[in-house]
Amino acid sequence: MRRLTAVACVLALLVAACAKLCAAQAAPRMPGELAWTIGYDPKTFDPAKVDDQESELVRYLTAGVLLRFNRFTQKIDPQLAESWNLSPDGKTITFKLRPGLQFSDGSSLTAKDAAWSIRHVLLPATGAPVAEEFLSPAGVTVATPDARTVVVHLPQRVIGIGKVFDEIAIEPADRPSEGRLTSGPFVVADYRRSQYVRLRPNPHYARRDATGSVLPYARGIRLDILENTEQEIRLFERGEYDVMDSLPPDYFELLKKKAPASVRDLGPSLNTEQMWFNQSPQAPLPAWEKSWFQSRAFRVAVSQAIHRADLARIAYLGHATPAYTFISPANSAWYDSKINAPHTDVAAAKAALAGAGFHLSGGMLEDAAGHPVKFSILTNAGNAARLKMATLIQQDLAALGMQVTVVPLDFPALIERLMHTQDYEACLLGLENVDPDPNAMMNIWLSNSPNHQWNPSEKMPATSWEAQIDLAMNRQASSFNDTERKQAVDRVQQIVADEQPFIYLVYPNVLVAISPRLKGVQPAVLEPSLVWNIESLHLEGVR
Amino acid sequence: MKLKCAAACVLAMLILVAAVIVAAPGASYANQDRESLLAPASTRHPAGTDALGRDRLVRVSAALLLSLAGSVAASAVTTAAAAGVGALAAFGPATVGWTAMLLCDVFLALPWLFLLMMVRSALPLTTSPANSAAITFLVLAALGWPACARAVYRGALSLKTTEWMLYARAGGLRGGQIVRSVIPNLVPLLLPQFLISIPAFVMAEANLGALGLGVGEPLPSWGGMLLELDNSAMLFDTRWVYFPVALLVIVLLLLEAVAGEA
Repeated sequence: MRRLTAVACVLALLVAACAKLCAAQAAPRMPGELAWTIGYDPKTFDPAKVDDQESELVRYLTAGVLLRFNRFTQKIDPQLAESWNLSPDGKTITFKLRPGLQFSDGSSLTAKDAAWSIRHVLLPATGAPVAEEFLSPAGVTVATPDARTVVVHLPQRVIGIGKVFDEIAIEPADRPSEGRLTSGPFVVADYRRSQYVRLRPNPHYARRDATGSVLPYARGIRLDILENTEQEIRLFERGEYDVMDSLPPDYFELLKKKAPASVRDLGPSLNTEQMWFNQSPQAPLPAWEKSWFQSRAFRVAVSQAIHRADLARIAYLGHATPAYTFISPANSAWYDSKINAPHTDVAAAKAALAGAGFHLSGGMLEDAAGHPVKFSILTNAGNAARLKMATLIQQDLAALGMQVTVVPLDFPALIERLMHTQDYEACLLGLENVDPDPNAMMNIWLSNSPNHQWNPSEKMPATSWEAQIDLAMNRQASSFNDTERKQAVDRVQQIVADEQPFIYLVYPNVLVAISPRLKGVQPAVLEPSLVWNIESLHLEGVR
Repeated sequence: MKLKCAAACVLAMLILVAAVIVAAPGASYANQDRESLLAPASTRHPAGTDALGRDRLVRVSAALLLSLAGSVAASAVTTAAAAGVGALAAFGPATVGWTAMLLCDVFLALPWLFLLMMVRSALPLTTSPANSAAITFLVLAALGWPACARAVYRGALSLKTTEWMLYARAGGLRGGQIVRSVIPNLVPLLLPQFLISIPAFVMAEANLGALGLGVGEPLPSWGGMLLELDNSAMLFDTRWVYFPVALLVIVLLLLEAVAGEA
């Protein structure tokens, strides 16, 4: 009897598990509908309040904007605006709207709606994150001389102002609808918490393709809310999903074995992985350690001892590119291939250390005063690639006689040490860059910034080279000339390569999977990398 | 009894083999063979290599020795502490006994995982992997004694009411002399407690390692190696990734068999 009960219990559990598995399957796909996954529920459908990645994707797919930052060409394209013009002083932007624009309900879209949408995001009560990008949102004025003209006047010049309008959805004046009434290619049709977001095409979308056919081609989009990469891969293989982006390298390799035609390595992303030493004079570290970390020779020697090719090959299974500067080769406008950075050269590293007074004693590196060179590298626990890189660097630096301890910490504990106590020696982390313009990195490079990680919030630049970085970054921020801006950024790159305050390690590659049935895809490294041209995407034979 | 002997023999053999593998010339648990990543079994690497090209057999052997040595030491500390507290609570004044048991309850109620995380975060960052391993087992021991102390307390209380104890006390034996007589009589209780704690500590260390809170790299630990199983993509690359968990289960079963018979 007891055995029967046990068998019944096991069966009941199995049935429950199967039921749960079935419930987790993708919802049935409508004909011509595109489908992929998002990691979590969008926090908002209000395009003005977007502050998370998934809400941003929904906004991208649904919102009509005056200007669109083209993720492929990395240039600004007019969208709802037929043309736009920036005054020579950079303070006045004039948009001319396309004629006959309509919202998804068929009502007219005029300059009044565009002006209302811009003012709406500028209002403090809205709490729109994009408002900060205007630097002084309170001083911005918007005028509408006629039904198709919008004039925005800024109190001060904003670098890359065109891209800011990529984030401002044009909504019907006084009728915000949380994505259900849009001027973009799609409209939010249905949302089920923790299950999916369904979008339907906007029947009044203004854009047409080269042959004059109606856009978008797809008959809908279903974004399934699913965090599990393994399940996502399984459903992708079954044809339930059309694209997968941001694939971890090991899952990319797994999928490559199963469906080699569907995976693509798009090359380096804009993101960087780097390590740095704590150079803060306030850090609670022994004086001799501070002197090592403040020594250029020490930092350069460490950089020269690291085998970046091994980091890319082992920690990222070959799906990363060795990095020597903060601008990735993917950033075509700002990358400078002529930067002269220290490459792997263990002999040169040893010589540089010897020149700085370091010497080997029983296999252990010691400074001139006889202190053994021992330090720890912090990284965030749970990130397998970073832990592998730190362990590889541990062995690379052992070749110089340095004894390195790898310490994975949970993120809050790590941030506490980096931002507050400054009680750490070295750290290995990554930086996610969403904006190709280096101006977005001002908060990292200016010496008085709290995010100037190796020595935060300096009252005065601690070194002459930091003063030079400040100068060059401020020059690129204030210049009206693109060539001059580029020269200033190149100068910063060269100083960083010479001084190695950040020792750049790799640029992780963008790894994606695309269903062979999906047509019109032009992968780009900028997010949303596979669906940036969503209007032109469609399933084979369905258009 | 036969099962216990057989389990103990197999365990001893495993330890011996592991010690020979670790001590073999050229064997290194930290050395990275960067040209042989996730390599299959070969004469050079009989159990293949891990994702950093380190010999899996040497690492598993070192993890076995480290885990068992640490667990035995932690178990010894726990049992000694439990014997002291339990005996003191049973034979001391009522207030002392009550306070000791209250202390046990407090310790049992502690969220040990968070405590361990706090301790790990508070450690100096340059703590070497060997020291971090020692501290991990020490913390486990410091948190493991209360359950054992409760059992000892119960045993000591029942001894306190035995006839020979009444005679001893009536005969004028003082507190210290009584405890000296009691301890040998508690050995049948302490030995199983000692043996039961060993697999518990092996598991606890593996759990901590799997959370990234145990022994630091490059020192191998069960938990660190079990972390590999978290990545299902790797499971398709090499079946040897199951080797550490298989050996861990075998070791745990052997330890349980030894402890169970005791």
